[in-house]
Amino acid sequence: MTIRQTFLAKAALRSALLVSCLAMAAPAFAQNTTLNVAQQQDPQNLDPIDTFRLSWGSIGSNIFESLVFRGEDLELRPGLATGWEFLDDETRIRFTLREGVVFHDGEPFNAEAVKYTFDRLLGAEGSKGPQRSNYTSIREVVVVDEYTVDFLMQRPDPVLITKLAGYGAMIVPPKYIQDVGEDAFDMKPVGTGPFQVVEYTPTVGVKLAKFDNYWNGEAEVDEVNIRFIPEDATRIAELLSGGVDISMNIPTPSVETIKQNPNVDLVAVDGPTVVLTRFNTAHGITADPRVRKAITMAVDRNTIVQALLGGLASPISSAQGVKSFGNDPELEGYPYDPEAAKALLAEAGVATGTEITLDMPSNDDTFREVAQVIAAYLEQVGLKVNIRTHEQGVYFNDIIENGKTGEIYYYGWGGWTFDFDNTAYILYHTGERFNPYVSDAKLDELLDAQRQTYDRDVREVALQEVARYAHEQALDLPLYNTSTIYGVSTRVEGFDPAPDDRARYMNVTLK
Amino acid sequence: MPVFRFILQRVFQAVLVTLAVTLFVAFAVRLTGDPAVMLTAESSSVTEEDLVRIRDALGLNQPFYAQYFDFIKSLVTFDLGNSFFRGSIRDLIGIALPSTLLLAVASMGISILISIPLGIHAALHKGGFSDQIIRVLSLVGLSFPNFWLGIMFVLLLSIAFPILPASGFETWRALILPALTIGIILTATNVRLVRTQMLETLSQQYVMVARAKGLSERSVIYKHALRNAAIAIVTFLGLQFGNLIGGLVVIELVFNWPGMGTLSIEAIAQRDYPLLQVTVSILAIMIVAVNLAVDLVYGLIDPRIRVA
Repeated sequence: MTIRQTFLAKAALRSALLVSCLAMAAPAFAQNTTLNVAQQQDPQNLDPIDTFRLSWGSIGSNIFESLVFRGEDLELRPGLATGWEFLDDETRIRFTLREGVVFHDGEPFNAEAVKYTFDRLLGAEGSKGPQRSNYTSIREVVVVDEYTVDFLMQRPDPVLITKLAGYGAMIVPPKYIQDVGEDAFDMKPVGTGPFQVVEYTPTVGVKLAKFDNYWNGEAEVDEVNIRFIPEDATRIAELLSGGVDISMNIPTPSVETIKQNPNVDLVAVDGPTVVLTRFNTAHGITADPRVRKAITMAVDRNTIVQALLGGLASPISSAQGVKSFGNDPELEGYPYDPEAAKALLAEAGVATGTEITLDMPSNDDTFREVAQVIAAYLEQVGLKVNIRTHEQGVYFNDIIENGKTGEIYYYGWGGWTFDFDNTAYILYHTGERFNPYVSDAKLDELLDAQRQTYDRDVREVALQEVARYAHEQALDLPLYNTSTIYGVSTRVEGFDPAPDDRARYMNVTLK
Repeated sequence: MPVFRFILQRVFQAVLVTLAVTLFVAFAVRLTGDPAVMLTAESSSVTEEDLVRIRDALGLNQPFYAQYFDFIKSLVTFDLGNSFFRGSIRDLIGIALPSTLLLAVASMGISILISIPLGIHAALHKGGFSDQIIRVLSLVGLSFPNFWLGIMFVLLLSIAFPILPASGFETWRALILPALTIGIILTATNVRLVRTQMLETLSQQYVMVARAKGLSERSVIYKHALRNAAIAIVTFLGLQFGNLIGGLVVIELVFNWPGMGTLSIEAIAQRDYPLLQVTVSILAIMIVAVNLAVDLVYGLIDPRIRVA
């Protein structure tokens, strides 16, 4: 009979609640508020140094903090460090740490924790994961006193301070990890952030609860329930049916459906990812810069962005968006001019009807449409484009890496650092893994030089120079900067969309 | 004991098949790509030295036989080992396998509950109005892609009339839509099978004899005809169940059901060798086990097979 009784009791309670609600029309009962969030990917491991996924960022940024804080405006601010200064000819960076911060398990945050974090990252544990390679410019972290640490540098790393604001640099608790072990930490980590992990269920989701002893204010909701829903249609269905309050990773084709729904808002912000097609500058007709310029001028990026992507992207003139450090607002892309393109092709001796190949990964439905439009544009100037698709892993690790592409190939990249160094180095520096064709002494020199200094003005000039040079040589056809799109229920207030996917739920309230 | 020897023989076969599958999977997966490269695919500053470091840490530099031996050892001891990126495989299987089985059993159950009475009804009224309706409906059901039906259910019952959750798996209510979707798709085939088998047995002489000796229609249909038709039906359902366990991927994705299909797909995408080996091996073992069970059930249904 117990089941029946609880059922009756529930029914009675429900009607009582209903009555009291109707009577007072006020939030009379103190109920736990839960924010439901859907995101596409399961990070599969919550340890900051074991993953490189954006899907970790939208969870981990609520659990962990690092010495430097970078919020939605991408400005760098003091985080767990109250300040830092460069010493000894910039070979030593001294961080002053915040006092009175505790981890979720009660362990104090101090210089030992910082040292432990970086020893772990640069040591054996870090070697198993993808984060270590980003921080190898650090030689050693030395404890000066309880709230002061020195980073001794192996070599200059101008992007270090930015990198300290994210991912691998998240401060972890030494005692907790030693007590529970690395495997348990992967599944239930502890940080200093506004939320603590209640439970992580692989492929299903992660439940977070407000951390009461957080040093920097208090989260508005009591719980955050983040669910992993890989299938786009299902994620959108949950958002539209009210099953989730916030959905990350909104695909472009769903934008119209969401716009029409009165209960859900669409929030978009320029993201880190840029999409371009690169040229095979070593072989075929695209070895000729005139042909590359012609192809660039034959494609109307603005129309692609407006008509195909619903305006939820911004056209770019170099391989970076406007938020990127190193972006030159003065640099304008080649204009859309099919006649000039035809003239250039004729000048280069390319016959009408010449066939070229465009390679792309098979799982990108949006780009598949873009590729077809590009093919149509090129058809108009007399080039016949064959689109070839490959499984994603094969595409990046064989077709691109081993230089097996056709004349044009897809490339999408976005460094969460929003620093052009990240993208430019990969695209243009000789011998980089994903750069099979470009090898240019001038680019190598510019890229290497800006890595030697912490001076932001000097670096900005160098990076802009790289972008301009790549533009002049038409090394690639920059297409657009994709927006990071969130679907947000009208119940939600105070959600600030993060351009880098590192959504933070601390200030979110529910109506 | 012939039954005993029969079972033993079948179990031995099953073990051989499973071993062959594991060996093939372990070998084939290593030809598909480098997990170290996949792991760092989004990283901007990876050097060859970093990749070597990661390969060492993941144990990829050991010879194939050593890696295979570790894998078999982890299977036999039920320890299952660790995934490259996601910790204990046993924990992952602990969620995925029961949820797949639950969905498969629930949808098979729905399908059996609908298709057997309907199939019998159609066979008994062959050519009649209700038979026509059942056959048309079954044809309609056969022509639906399962994901389409799933999405339609979601649109109708989660968005237009929000009665059931669109996805998830933590409450029993979330099971209804996916189980119904697969159940209906399976029913479309099964109802035809039951109908045909019943028609065939009902035209046998022993049915005529049973009727002639004055047995009730009920007894004729259920004790004589259905039981004889059951052999073919059980064989088919057994094969169907095997297919179902491996073939639920699409529905798992549509309803975000955390099953074995999803787990294998994720493992393939990341070249997570240990996880992929285990999921494929478990799926193979399940299919082999279902076939074994079908063989054994024959004896229960048909005493003639038991003796032979």
